[in-house]
Amino acid sequence: MTIKRLIRTDSPEAFIEEIEKIQGALPKRIDANPKNVEKGLAKLVLTLIELIRKLLEKQAMRRIDAGSLTEEEIERIGETLMKLENKMQELKGVFGLKDEELNINLGPLGDLM
Amino acid sequence: MQAAKRSRISRMGIYTYAIIDSNSKISSSINGLGGAVVYNIPYRNIGIVVSESEHVQDIAQEHILKHEEIVEKLMEDFTVLPMRFHTLFNQEKDALLMMKEYCGDFRENLDRLRNKKEFGVRVIWPGDIKRNRIIDAYKKSNAGADMPDSSSVKSFVKEKFEEYKIDKEFEEEADKYIALIDNFFSRWACEKKIEKLKSENLLLNAFYLVEKEKEEDFKEAFERARDICICGDLKYLFSGPWPPYNFISLTKKTLHQRLSEADMFGRISPEQNLLNKGML
Repeated sequence: MTIKRLIRTDSPEAFIEEIEKIQGALPKRIDANPKNVEKGLAKLVLTLIELIRKLLEKQAMRRIDAGSLTEEEIERIGETLMKLENKMQELKGVFGLKDEELNINLGPLGDLM
Repeated sequence: MQAAKRSRISRMGIYTYAIIDSNSKISSSINGLGGAVVYNIPYRNIGIVVSESEHVQDIAQEHILKHEEIVEKLMEDFTVLPMRFHTLFNQEKDALLMMKEYCGDFRENLDRLRNKKEFGVRVIWPGDIKRNRIIDAYKKSNAGADMPDSSSVKSFVKEKFEEYKIDKEFEEEADKYIALIDNFFSRWACEKKIEKLKSENLLLNAFYLVEKEKEEDFKEAFERARDICICGDLKYLFSGPWPPYNFISLTKKTLHQRLSEADMFGRISPEQNLLNKGML
């Protein structure tokens, strides 16, 4: 007996392209070696900060959408988020990191962001 | 000569393919990586299928395909828990130690996955076009709402809020499509794993666990899906059956941890008794 495997698609090229896009987007491991240990660590730390920043931003937008914030509170949160985003841009520049590099592959759980 | 031989042996290891629900010999002759004979190391009523192998330094596609081929051959006769490619032990006793530690976990999975196979459904949608449509609609409905004298903070919040609303609508649209496709396939599946929007265009990456008796129905569903899930310009990729790669759920609790949990009522299980006597 052999397994009768079925593989059906009308657009193999489109699937190859999408799968390569996902797989190629992230390095499998944190790149930490003596020559660029600083960058490797910065990438890890900035990824975590970016995750928290995005969560804060999303939560703030949810609250604005729900109408549970006053104009004054929106202004204050907006200023905090703006400064945080600017600081992150600055730090990414210092360590030569791109937006798409700030992610971690969590194996079976998928990507962090 | 002797030294060379020793050095060669020291590089040998036990290459593992899968854990199976049998402690018997494998009846068919299977050659593994490097042509080595594949055999089953029994542990209680299950087994770990291995071959002797040199540590592969340069992993090539052919090695990965060979590993997959052997797991699939085993799948013809047994329930399998496939091992990750290139899982090696130094000696048989190390493999047995792992079997002893996680035997409960392995048996639970083998029981749950008996007579079941995995199928994959991937769907691409024109995500970029959908997003652009949502952006256009959002801009139209908010035309004239711009405040030229607004502060940089207000502009920042406005921009972020727009992004949030567009993302939200995009995801809601994706959810509608996914629900339609998933409801169709779920009828034949006993378990499923759904990954949504792994990329802008990869709408759905789903895995369905299907009982053997429903396998043919599920394959037919593949063929009919295009006509039934009429969602416009979607592209499908169906595949299967596969070993149940996405449905193995390990608690990673060792035998000792499991037994200490069983002891919370102050009872000593037969396994604990054997352990105390050094028989496990």
